Amino acid sequence: MTAQEIRLCGLLLQEHFGEMVEKVGTHLLRSGAQNLRTIVQETNLSVDLVKKCLCVLVQHGACCFTSGRKGPGSPTEYQACCDRILRVLRYPRYIYTAKTLYGDTGELIIEELLQRGHMTMSSTVKTVADRLTQNMEEGHSMDYSEVSSSFSKLVETHFLQRCPPVGGAGTSGSTAPAAAPAATVSVAPPTPESFPECYSVPHVSLIGRGKRQLVPENGEDQRNAKRAKMDTETHGDEGIYWQVNFERFHQHFRDQAIISAVANKLDQTSSEIVRTILRMSEVTTSATAACTKPLSANEIFRSLPASYNIPRHILDQYLTLLVDDPMEFVGKTGESGGGMFVVNLHRALANLARNTVESIVQERFGSRSARIFRLLLRKRHLEQKQVEDFAMIPAKEAKDMLYTLLSHNLVQLQEIPKTPDFAPSRTFYLYTVNQLPTARMLLQNCYKTVANLIERRLFETKENKRLLEKSQRIEAILASLQASGAEPEQLSEVEEMISAPEKQQLDVLKLHVNKLDSAENQVDETVFILESYVSSTSTS
Amino acid sequence: MAEVKVKKETNLSEPAEIENRIKELCQQFPQGITDQVIQNDLPHLEPQQRAMALNKLLSLGQLDLLRNSSGLLYRLKDTQSASKMKGSDNQEKLVYQIIEDAGNKGIWSRDIRFKSNLPLTEINKILKNLESKKLIKAVKSVAASKKKVYMLYNLQPDRTVTGGAWYSDQDFESEFVEVLNQQCFKFLQSKAEAARDGKQSPMVQRNSSFATSHEVWKYICELGISKVDLSMDDIETILNTLIYDGKVEMTVIAAKEGTVGSVDGQMKLYRGVNAILQPTGLVKTPCGLCPVFHDCHEGGEISPSSCIYMSEWLDF
Repeated sequence: MTAQEIRLCGLLLQEHFGEMVEKVGTHLLRSGAQNLRTIVQETNLSVDLVKKCLCVLVQHGACCFTSGRKGPGSPTEYQACCDRILRVLRYPRYIYTAKTLYGDTGELIIEELLQRGHMTMSSTVKTVADRLTQNMEEGHSMDYSEVSSSFSKLVETHFLQRCPPVGGAGTSGSTAPAAAPAATVSVAPPTPESFPECYSVPHVSLIGRGKRQLVPENGEDQRNAKRAKMDTETHGDEGIYWQVNFERFHQHFRDQAIISAVANKLDQTSSEIVRTILRMSEVTTSATAACTKPLSANEIFRSLPASYNIPRHILDQYLTLLVDDPMEFVGKTGESGGGMFVVNLHRALANLARNTVESIVQERFGSRSARIFRLLLRKRHLEQKQVEDFAMIPAKEAKDMLYTLLSHNLVQLQEIPKTPDFAPSRTFYLYTVNQLPTARMLLQNCYKTVANLIERRLFETKENKRLLEKSQRIEAILASLQASGAEPEQLSEVEEMISAPEKQQLDVLKLHVNKLDSAENQVDETVFILESYVSSTSTS
Repeated sequence: MAEVKVKKETNLSEPAEIENRIKELCQQFPQGITDQVIQNDLPHLEPQQRAMALNKLLSLGQLDLLRNSSGLLYRLKDTQSASKMKGSDNQEKLVYQIIEDAGNKGIWSRDIRFKSNLPLTEINKILKNLESKKLIKAVKSVAASKKKVYMLYNLQPDRTVTGGAWYSDQDFESEFVEVLNQQCFKFLQSKAEAARDGKQSPMVQRNSSFATSHEVWKYICELGISKVDLSMDDIETILNTLIYDGKVEMTVIAAKEGTVGSVDGQMKLYRGVNAILQPTGLVKTPCGLCPVFHDCHEGGEISPSSCIYMSEWLDF
């Protein structure tokens, strides 16, 4: 948990859950695992408030609790999870992916689950059906079964998973395996995938259609939205809570990155072949595997999309080309079945991360510095003179560029002494680039950048708070006037309450906020690649 | 009185005779004779006399003393070069010999001092003398611009001293390198595009997008943008810089000896490639390129709320 990460987590918590949660969250991040009493003391909040904040954090999976250090009898300790909080940044990307894969229904399901953290299937289906019905035309409504089928599809492809039952805490699902350890509480929280029932959809009796919500008064609407709909019906799946499976989404993003890289480097058909291989190994490969499971060329041929009817020998040629490519995305592991092929995930991630780092150097320092950087990446250790010769850059400029890169810590200096006393005239000084530490450093820079963007956005909205409030009031008045059927003159009168320059200012503000938002998403893409690379090296 | 035929015996112990004999032997063996050879030819000669004769010849400057792995060699000195040194004294001859030994890499004045053990002033005087006699010349080294190396007048300086084709008058020609860079890249790129438009099977497509280093060399020579003759090695260094730019990739294939352009049974093939990633998200924000990134804190003088780069970027 670096300082930048904590700062970013604090900002995200504040935006999505409020100040109190932010206080408790950042305190937990800074101090590690603590029990309730200590948290209350150190944050100076009331016990009730702290409890509620912890509930919120646990509900979203950002905090986990274990029995205390002194043994089973001591008070439970709570620990905040930095990674999970940083995922909040990526919510828009998850929702968008669900939309592209499963349409509006999928999008809303994911959105609801992300908003609420854990939910049962029945409540999700009902809420989503209601929302969809609201946006449909009069007289139409969404059937529950459609939403349920979308839900099941999401579970089948592992995008949703059951929340792991809490060991010894009581609310275990009705179909939890009997062998669940009741007395012993493991130190590390069990991963959802360690339970065999993780991806099985329960039998839920959900019959009905979405209800269209009546248009209530403004104040009531707000109150209702905050309160969870208290349903008295039971549907047979009490206690089985579902959550979004972030790892699966990350796998999907990673596959997308690999496919687009292949498409850029080679051509469309090769990327389709790689997409087929990845699709076939979606659910059989674990998140941390170095390669996908080997697939024979026959299988690949059979599973290619129907639109690409390329003959068998052409497919073989494409596969050979993919294997020979210096990027090493695809590898050949055997000859049976016409050749067994795997996608080298870790190597692909390393290549993508390397390209990301190179592009950062190129944009920041110029293409000649990028040339020196790539040269050092390839040749590992070089003396100053050799750098000048290989890169064909005049000596003075090369020296300048190397020192700039060195001052930004992108390049390191390795000393090799000829004599034991390290005398400068008798030592070799070699320049070198280490990919992993550089990637980590740039990742921290990315976190800082996102935090800066968020702060700037908050600052801009704060500056124009008065204006925003005014425009909100006017919109509310307009809406109520329209609902009660007013004449056009009254409407235009109300609209004129905002003057033209103010309108312009509002537009500019909107533009700024949108730009900052989209910039956050773009930086998040970089964060994703670098994070995946760093975590892939730590497990291998 | 009976005439006593006094056969004038070739008194082999006479120094002049010995010297002449040695000189004849040298002429017989132009690459040099060892002590052993002289001993075989004149078995009655005492080593002392032999040494005296050899020394005399050496000091006269008619013999060259060389050392090889099996011992000392004596070689007849070229009369032409012998005449050159007429009028110079021993010290100059020594310095000249040292410079000659340095070949076409040249030798620095300090190194001459070490090898000859002569004081600096003497060395300088001798070097000026030799230069005026047009026997040696000074060449500026490209590695250290203040350093001057001396070599024989008629020798071509070595590549390491002048820097080869990329340097003209000790200046690195960056524009020349840039132009070559772009030309090579354009050639490879157009070849790759032509291959891609061919719409043949992918293997053929890829193979036809490759160009050997020999082809690139020929193309550049035909373009005629270079005043200096470029060798294939020079072109390969240019192509390597393109690899470091990430625009080109290289593979090595085995080629038959004797095919054009192959070196030691291998050929290098180059191919233009596209980048695999678009410029990454971080650099699309001002923070990614900010020069004062590390000084930026909330509440400080440089902070996100007051950042001028951000204001400019937002108004763009």
